[in-house]
Amino acid sequence: MATPNPEFLKGTLDMLILRTLSRGPNHGYGIAQHIRRLSQDAFKVGEGSLYPALQRLLVNGWVRAEWGITETNRQARVYTITPAGRKQLAEEVREFDCVLAAIARVMEGV
Amino acid sequence: MRFWNRLRLRTRGGRLETELQDEIRLHREMLHEEFVRQGMPPAEAARAAARQFGNPASAADLSRDEWTFPHLDILWKDVRFALRLMLRHPLLTAAAALTVAFGVGANTAILSVLETVLLNPLGMPHASRLMVARVHLDKLQMRHAPDSGVEFRELHAMTDAFSAVAAMENRAWTWQTGGQATRLLGQAVTPDFFRVFGAAPALGRFFSGDEERGVVLSYDMWQSRFGGDAGAIGRTIVLDDTPHQVVGVAPKDFRFPADAAAWSPLVLSKYRLSQRGYNMTLLVFARLRDGVTPARASGRVNRYVAGLAAGPGGAEWREMGYGIDLDPFAIYLAGDLRSPLWLLWAAALVVLLTGCANVAGLLLTRSSSRRKEIAIRLSLGATRWQIVRQLLLESLLLGTFGGLAGVALARGAVALIARLPVPGKEVLALVSLQRGMLLYGLALAMLSGLLFGLAPALQLLRESQTAAMARSRRRWFQDIFVTAEVAGAFLLVAMTGLLLRSLWTVERVRLGFDSRHLTTAYFTKPKNDPGFQDRLKAELQHAPGVESAALVYPVPLTTGGLTSGFSIRNRERLPGEPEWHGEAYFVTPEYFETMRIPLLRGRNLAASDTAGAPTVCLIDRKLADRFFPNQDPIGQEISMYKGWARIVGVTAAVRADSLEEETRPVAYYSLPQVPFFPQAAAVVRSHTPAAKLIREVVRRTNASVPVFDVRTMEERIGESLGIRRVLAMLLCVFGGISLLLAAIGIYGVMAQVVGERTQEVGIRMAMGARPGQILRQFMSQGARSGTLGLVLGVGATAAVQKWIGALLYQVRPLDAATLAAAAAGILAVLVAAVWWPSRRASRIDPQAALRHE
Repeated sequence: MATPNPEFLKGTLDMLILRTLSRGPNHGYGIAQHIRRLSQDAFKVGEGSLYPALQRLLVNGWVRAEWGITETNRQARVYTITPAGRKQLAEEVREFDCVLAAIARVMEGV
Repeated sequence: MRFWNRLRLRTRGGRLETELQDEIRLHREMLHEEFVRQGMPPAEAARAAARQFGNPASAADLSRDEWTFPHLDILWKDVRFALRLMLRHPLLTAAAALTVAFGVGANTAILSVLETVLLNPLGMPHASRLMVARVHLDKLQMRHAPDSGVEFRELHAMTDAFSAVAAMENRAWTWQTGGQATRLLGQAVTPDFFRVFGAAPALGRFFSGDEERGVVLSYDMWQSRFGGDAGAIGRTIVLDDTPHQVVGVAPKDFRFPADAAAWSPLVLSKYRLSQRGYNMTLLVFARLRDGVTPARASGRVNRYVAGLAAGPGGAEWREMGYGIDLDPFAIYLAGDLRSPLWLLWAAALVVLLTGCANVAGLLLTRSSSRRKEIAIRLSLGATRWQIVRQLLLESLLLGTFGGLAGVALARGAVALIARLPVPGKEVLALVSLQRGMLLYGLALAMLSGLLFGLAPALQLLRESQTAAMARSRRRWFQDIFVTAEVAGAFLLVAMTGLLLRSLWTVERVRLGFDSRHLTTAYFTKPKNDPGFQDRLKAELQHAPGVESAALVYPVPLTTGGLTSGFSIRNRERLPGEPEWHGEAYFVTPEYFETMRIPLLRGRNLAASDTAGAPTVCLIDRKLADRFFPNQDPIGQEISMYKGWARIVGVTAAVRADSLEEETRPVAYYSLPQVPFFPQAAAVVRSHTPAAKLIREVVRRTNASVPVFDVRTMEERIGESLGIRRVLAMLLCVFGGISLLLAAIGIYGVMAQVVGERTQEVGIRMAMGARPGQILRQFMSQGARSGTLGLVLGVGATAAVQKWIGALLYQVRPLDAATLAAAAAGILAVLVAAVWWPSRRASRIDPQAALRHE
């Protein structure tokens, strides 16, 4: 599978992060790991791009951040999804499904 | 929401930054550990981790971008840059900011006065619907005379035009309180008075129809004398020995008249309501009925006057040129201040505009020296718009600083205005700098900033055109600049000159008496103390330091004399001869010695001319010359006040009404023989001011007599000249500043022209042009624009002559000598300002010039 266009990813990355956090609070590394594992390394974008996205989510009030202790006993910043974030996730998933369905219809129609 | 989140994040400041760095470092460490766990050697694991994470610096940057305000940050950067630039040229910055500060400050202060006095008079609701009725009698050259009861009755009956009509009459009560006599100024008013002004009581009530003994206190009076106690209502105060019950308190913002401490009911007798032309002591106010325009109301009143003149007994009034004027309240209130205020406001605007032009010139000079910096920024990718924005921002900042300083200046100026010794000062004391005016000042400053920032910005935008075109455009701006500066400066200098000449002429008017070392003070005559005046006079004459003392009513140069028609025994007016009018003063014999008015013929009044003795009078030379030419007036009898009085002497004539007007013929009566008036004044000639002395002596003589209006004669003269002096002084300042601005500005612009054309001049001199030719060329460029400016200035002066005419004294608005002097002054400044740069041009060394740039 080819590396997806980063621009295309930008919007999706927010959704992926929110989706990850909807399972429970996590720190940046944990989020990256989770996305990497589930996508089977499809998104080969530098994990650093996670941080601008996280800041964006913070600014929008969709996640909260607090310093906590990781399972390996390190200080880390732990992100938690907010109710507004859950709403946003649902919205994005719905839009994403629409787009996917549309693409699928076009592809099958050929 | 986003905004607040950002702001919250931003306010955490540096912590945010370190947190982000920590987080990124941690992430990379964890990646590294994971790779090591997978069995990679540490060096390779570090490389893999770096690859997997991507560029940490860019991640941090992009993250940071999320919580910044991009536009605000850029703006802030621009502001900081502008501030740095301004600090690097402190002189230029200070000059520009001060110029704006002065212009804005003067404008704001004057508009504040205009607002209180004229635009929104005393904050009265719907003041434009409020009219004042005053009488004019053309035959007697009386304008704006007070009304008699008849005018009130008639306007009150015009219910089709007015919804409410009220009359008021001056009162000066003696208030006995705590063993002390205080003079209390106030008004007696008809029941509808407060309704006409749309005021509701702050406490209690206003007057009902038939009340006679109530009193409404002003808010200030209630606060200062009754401690703001609600229990004041119902209390009784003794005014002029008559108990009055306090029925209400006027609202805080009701301050009309400005010096009124209380209002009492005015009951007009049937007699007063039917006597036209007598007891003209009322002022009638009327509120227009909804839908009635001021013009229609005036028409209604004029129809009434026409009907009266045509009716039975109307001939007398037709002959007198009787009429009723209906003026808006603001016009009445502003009175003599109206023209000076508008004039000053216009002058301040001219100063501000020339100031703006000047700052524009300064900025333009700097922007051409900044061309290199701007070129670099353009080549580094700044857009033209960004540069223009930067330039405009700089001038806006300058404007803002100037505006803030200007508003502070205005605040100080308003405090000064409130203390000006001019007629109408009671109203001026109410002027304050309101929030709207502050906004006006700041808006004016910002507008000025935009205005003078536009010139360099426009020039920059045009820079893309060919160099030659840009240069010709620039010269076009410079010509306009010189023209405008000269025109503005001329207008102000010419007006200043006219006013100064008037002032000079007035100040040189001979009064006919010695006004130095005279102190005057009014007092209210006590009711039950017949010997008071004699005792007071004697006490004053024997007080230490007093040269002489007399009593008089009224004091000259205060309210004007008591004008009256008079007749001469055994003489009829010739057909067609205007009615005989004179003024009366009521004095004690020492008056002439005290005032140093020479007695020309006959005898002085004497101590024996008392109430029981036959009435006598002195006349002044003017009356003698006009009515008794080639004839001895002594022994003749005239009747002006209190029946026939025998003329016993003739005095020299004095100016007693005002410095500027010829005084009517005057008759002096013996004060004890005409005891009609409730007040009189002491006049004391002494080497040191005697204000305190007079107060003490009066108190010693009778403690229940209030003393008021204590001033030296010089102060009275000063006040009658007040507007003239203040106006001339302010215009001197404005004119001087605009002249200075013009000189600096023109010099700056011409110096820039020379600087820009150094190379061209060098070439021409290398080709054989003589220095004289170069000098002439630059001089003539300046002279051309300057002359055009002069012409425009003369035109502007002609345009405002309607305003200024009323303020002049024996000088015409287009007085050739003054205008010529102003023009000569401006030309001298212009030539000096153009001469130095031109001479520098003529001394350019061709060799150096060609290597220039």
